[in-house]
Order: sequence, then C-alpha cells, then structure tokens
Amino acid sequence: MQTEPLGPNKVVGKVIARGERKASVQTYVPEIAKGLAITVGHFFKNTKEMVLGQRNDPTLEAISDGINTISYPEQRRPYPDRFRGQHRLMHREDGSSRCVACLCCSTACPAQCIHIEAGEYPEGDERRGYERFPTRFVIDELRCVFCGFCVEACPCDAIRMDTGLHPTPYDSREQFIYEKDLLMSFKGRDGSQVTDNLRAEPGEDAHPGIARDKVGRH
Amino acid sequence: MPSFKLDGRDVEFSPGETVIEAARKAGVDIPHYCWHPGLSVAANCRMCLVEVGPPPGRPALMLNVLEYDAEKGEYIDAKKPKLQPSCQLGAVEGMEVKSESSEHVKRARAAVQEMLLLNHPVDCPICDQAGECRLQDYWLEHQSTDKRMKDETIRKPKAQDFGPTIVYDAERCIVCTRCIRFSEEIAKDPVLDLRDRGNLAEVVVAPGRELDHDYTLMTEHVCPVGALTAKDFRFKARVWFLRSSQSICQGCSTGCNAFLDYDPRDQTVYRHRPRENAEVNKFWMCDKGMLDYRRIHENRLLEPTISGKSADVGAALEKAVELLKDVDSDKLAVVLSAQHSNEDNFALLTLAQEHLGSKALFLAARPSGPADDILINADKNPNTAGATAVCGSTPPKSFSELLTAIGSGKISHVLALSADVEEDLSPLSDLKALVVLSTHDVGLAKAATVALPASSWAECDGTFVNEKGASQASESAIKPQGASRPAWKLAGAIGMRLGKSTPWKSLDDFRGAVNSDAAAAGVDVGVQPGASA
Repeated sequence: MQTEPLGPNKVVGKVIARGERKASVQTYVPEIAKGLAITVGHFFKNTKEMVLGQRNDPTLEAISDGINTISYPEQRRPYPDRFRGQHRLMHREDGSSRCVACLCCSTACPAQCIHIEAGEYPEGDERRGYERFPTRFVIDELRCVFCGFCVEACPCDAIRMDTGLHPTPYDSREQFIYEKDLLMSFKGRDGSQVTDNLRAEPGEDAHPGIARDKVGRH
Repeated sequence: MPSFKLDGRDVEFSPGETVIEAARKAGVDIPHYCWHPGLSVAANCRMCLVEVGPPPGRPALMLNVLEYDAEKGEYIDAKKPKLQPSCQLGAVEGMEVKSESSEHVKRARAAVQEMLLLNHPVDCPICDQAGECRLQDYWLEHQSTDKRMKDETIRKPKAQDFGPTIVYDAERCIVCTRCIRFSEEIAKDPVLDLRDRGNLAEVVVAPGRELDHDYTLMTEHVCPVGALTAKDFRFKARVWFLRSSQSICQGCSTGCNAFLDYDPRDQTVYRHRPRENAEVNKFWMCDKGMLDYRRIHENRLLEPTISGKSADVGAALEKAVELLKDVDSDKLAVVLSAQHSNEDNFALLTLAQEHLGSKALFLAARPSGPADDILINADKNPNTAGATAVCGSTPPKSFSELLTAIGSGKISHVLALSADVEEDLSPLSDLKALVVLSTHDVGLAKAATVALPASSWAECDGTFVNEKGASQASESAIKPQGASRPAWKLAGAIGMRLGKSTPWKSLDDFRGAVNSDAAAAGVDVGVQPGASA
C-alpha cells in the first residue's frame, strides 16, 4: 500500500511487513526462558569468579581484553597522579593558610565559584604590609567545573586539587559551599598539608633580598 | 600650525609644547612614568626616550659604544644615536622624531624597564595597583624578557604609614617623584621629599609632619606604580573587576569630573577618582571628593516611610497624594534641593507649580564650609546654580526663611527634595503634611509625614551646574538601591496619581519635556536629551 505523502515536506514512507506470528513468539514463554538462561549463566559465572578470586585487576583493566566490571565502591580504579579532585588550601609551617587573597584564582575561574574577602594583618604582625590574607575563602563546589585553572593561577601554591576526593554528594545546597576552615582541613593524597615549596616569611634569613642597612653606600 | 614628524606621521604642535605633549594631543602615547601633563618635567624615568634626527646640514649626535657580537664572541666598537627624553624636548618645526620605529629606542626602553624592575619585589598578587600598573603594562609592551640580574634584591620598608590616608611601599617605588611634585606644585604643601640615591632611594615625609593636606589621595592617583596605596581602597577590590561610569563629584560646587568605579557583580561603588577636564578640575580632585563616594552606601533611605514607619511604595505614594490633594496652594511650599540634579528639581518644580499651584519656592542646601584656591569651594552643594536656574525669574528663598514662614503659620504643607540641611528642624512639627523625596535618612526625611526613597547620583543620570555655570552630565553607575527610584520619576508618579499630565516614562522623554518647558520659560537648564546612558 502506498501511503499519502505526510507533512509539509511530503515525506514518503515505505511500509515494512510485520514479522510472522508464530506460536513461540506469540506466547512469549520460550523467549523469556532464553533471556533468563543468559542472565543465570552470568550469575553463576560471576559467583564462581568471585568465590575463586578470579576478578580482573582494576589496575590492569585498561590493558586487558574485553569489557571488565569493576565493583565500585569495593573496587576502585586507581586515579592518575594528576587527577583533579576536591580543592584544598595549603598550610604554612605555622598552620595558617598560604593564601594571600590575591584573587588570581577567582579571576581565572570560568565558573566564578570562588569568593574571597581579603584582610590585612593586625598592627605589629610581621607580615603586615607584606601581605594580606583571606578573611573568607569560599568555594561553591556545585558551580565548580574542576578545570584546575585556580591551581594554575595561584602564585603561592596555596590551592591544590590533589586530595583525590570526588565531589561529595550531599542532600542540600548549603553543604556544597565550602568555607576556608573546611578547605584547610583536607589533606593531600600523601597526607600532607604543607608543601615542599620554599616559603620564607619576613624576618627569616631565607626571605629574599638584602636588608637596606646591610648595603654599602657609594 | 607648525608640525613635526613622529614615526613618519605629521604631528601638529603649538609653540612651546614638548614632543610628548604634542604627541599626547595627537593621540599617540609615548611611554612614560615620571611625566604627568599637569606637573612639571622631571625627566628622570628615561622611559620616554626618542631618537631625534639632526637639524638639516648637521651631523647626527652619535655615541661610541661597545656592543657584544655574538658571532665573534667579543665586544666590538659601535655607534648609536644619543636619545632624548621627549618630555623635556621642545618640539621644533620639521623635526624628525622616531619613537616606535627606532630600534635604538626599543632597546633603550627595554633596558630602562629592566632596570626599574631590578629591585622590584614583584608582589603583584598582593599589590592594589595590579591591573592598572605602568610597570605591568610596559613590561608586556616594551620588555617581555626575564630579569638578568642574579644578585639579591635590596629590601626596603613596606607599608609605611604616610598619614591618615596613604601607605607607602618603598620597594615598589620607582622614584619618579610625581607625588613629590604634586604636593609641592598643586597642593602647595611640600611635605614629601626624596632620601638617598640609586637603589636606596625612597620617598619620605618631612620630619614631624604627616601627609595630611587636602589632596593626599591624589598622590596615590598620580603614582604610576603601587608604591603609594590609599588606605580607603587597600585590599577592597581588584581593579579588573571594576567598571567606571563618568560622574560629577557631589562634594562641592566646583563640580569636578570624576569616575565612579564600581563592581557590577555586587553593585557596590569602590572608588571615586578624577576624570580629566581642563576647564574644571584639570586632573585633580580633593580628598573629601574622592571619599565622598562612601555616602552612596551609607545612611541611605531605602524604603518609603509613613510617619516614621516603613511602608511599600504604592501606599506611600497614595498617602502623599492624599496629603497634597486639594491643599490651599498659598499654604503649600515647595523645597528644591541644591544636592539634586536639574532633572529632579525640574520635575518637582513642574509638579508643584503647574499641577499643585504652589508659588512659594525654597532651596534646601548644605551649609557652606572651608574653601581653598585650588579646587575646594565654600558652597558644599553640587547644584546650587542649577537648582536656582531651574526656577527662572523667581529665585528660591533660603531654607531658614521656610522655617520662619512655617513658624508664622503661613505654610502648612511642604513638598520637598531633601538635602543635608543643618538648620533646627523643630518648626517642621507644626506642619500638617511634609512629603519628602530623600536619598539619605537625614533630618528632613526623619521629620517627614511621608518620605520617599530617591536614588543617589550614582544610581541615576543627572545634570549638575557648577559654580562657574558649566552644566555637566553625570552617568549612573549602579542600579537603584532598595526601593529607591530617581526623584524625577517619583515626582512624575505623584503627578500621575493626582490625575495630572506627567507622563515621563524614560529619561530621554523627560529631558525633552524639561527642555521644551525650560525654553518656554526662557531658562537654560543645560539638560542634554541625548546624553542619557
């Protein structure tokens, strides 16, 4: 039967004959049995592999043949060294944040998820005048796209994404707003909170530069 | 007009001008640190060096130098032209100046730039100048190489307190002496000077003094690097997040042209800085004016009040109409404001004169204060001249005369645009009705039966006439805060509810009406219909 052209574009369809209605198809039962046989076969195969410890190693998953199943979260695929996980704020030797509130990270952030309020050290502090510090450092993890630009932009090695943590699921939006204290509590995958990068504080010998009074006059 | 050639292009100059001045007028920016169009020439930064061709028939002035030849691996004798600082070099007819096009100039600029950064701490991340710093801009434009010096840098004092408004960082200073020359030449208070020389040089305040004249923030503004920073702006914002609108300073009747720098994301104004206008303020502004922006967010009236209790806009407008309707027009006084724009004053005047029939006009204004012969005017209102001109042939009487008239019972109803008046407001309690359109929660708004929140100058476009009679347009920066609306819109809304014809929808619309009405009355209020942003 030739159908009438349909629609404004006059699409012409071709009628395909329906499959033969055999008793085995119409009753469904043999087809269901066939399907269940495959499922049950996999069930026994998996059980046998689990009992005998024949599961694929998730580390080798990428190089072994075929499709492998990883039983997450009991089994986890190892992440590469440079995996970008949840942010953390690095510490100085004295436990304060390395961040100097320059706002380079929030400038670089394409998702605009970093909010920083800068403050000045109080009168008498050695770092007063040299530096400022974040009175607030907030990351909206819901907005974050985990691109790592903030880490690239940071001139002080103060923010990193090497915690190896996934974005954590929560049940309310407020919980995704990470404040400074929480960000500072995370550790790196090696358990560290202080970086190996030298950071000489004002007054220390390693602080760059020669004091003016030690320079000879010409 | 005589002209000279700059990079092959003709640049006209008037006699006595320097090369850099003439180039600036022609729109060519020769890089410079120490030169400022409003200050004397110091020629100490050496950034504006240019190559000048010899006069006709004379040999060029050449210097013998040693140049490293990488192929031979040794130094060889060479010649290079003697470069001249273009800020100090008077322009001469037919002179051939090479700036960008000269290889020698390029190398000299790169070298100057490298030298200025030898002892610089490169603490851009924590420097408030970052983003508008000449060192950053010129590094990218003229140097773009790393520092070759391997020695330790000289450490100098940071965050020195220069006075109530300014902090000085000696490490960032390039010793251009702009701040010193500004204090001496413009502020007429030589409180800053240089100490020591070479890489030990720093700016110091005169012993026993603080940097505390009326133009201290300008020293920060002229500083091309981050050496001087304003305490007010310090660590508040990053300049690349800010946008600027062209406004008029509201501090006094000089009407300095200014930029309001605001962050569009949080709708907050962070800074007020001068905008060049040779006729009014040249390049400068006073401290009071530069800090005046803080009023935009302080003590604002953000919601309407009826008898001191907050209400919604509709109810307040209804109440105002109810109070003003069917009032004996002889008993109704209208108060214009010297702190509001011509637009606001004209709207209120139209509403009062044409629709309410009032004839008693008064002017609310801030009391006068100290003045100097630089910029600061004794009249602390930005628009006294404009508000007076709007009234045409019958100038408004003073606010104290209104209080006397109220005391003697001649006036029972008042419709007012508010200002920071300092008169004793107790006679206002005798009024039957006081309707006030106010930006701030000041005495008049507190005493009002109905107070309607009006937008400040940062939130709506307006025209202000300064003391010399120049009418200047001011652009809005942020959106109206809270429930506030431009005062001319509020006046229009009251008119509409009174059943009168005040159909001003847009600013252009309204400005057109202002101009035709003003022309009919023979008044020039200087409102530009097309000037709205």
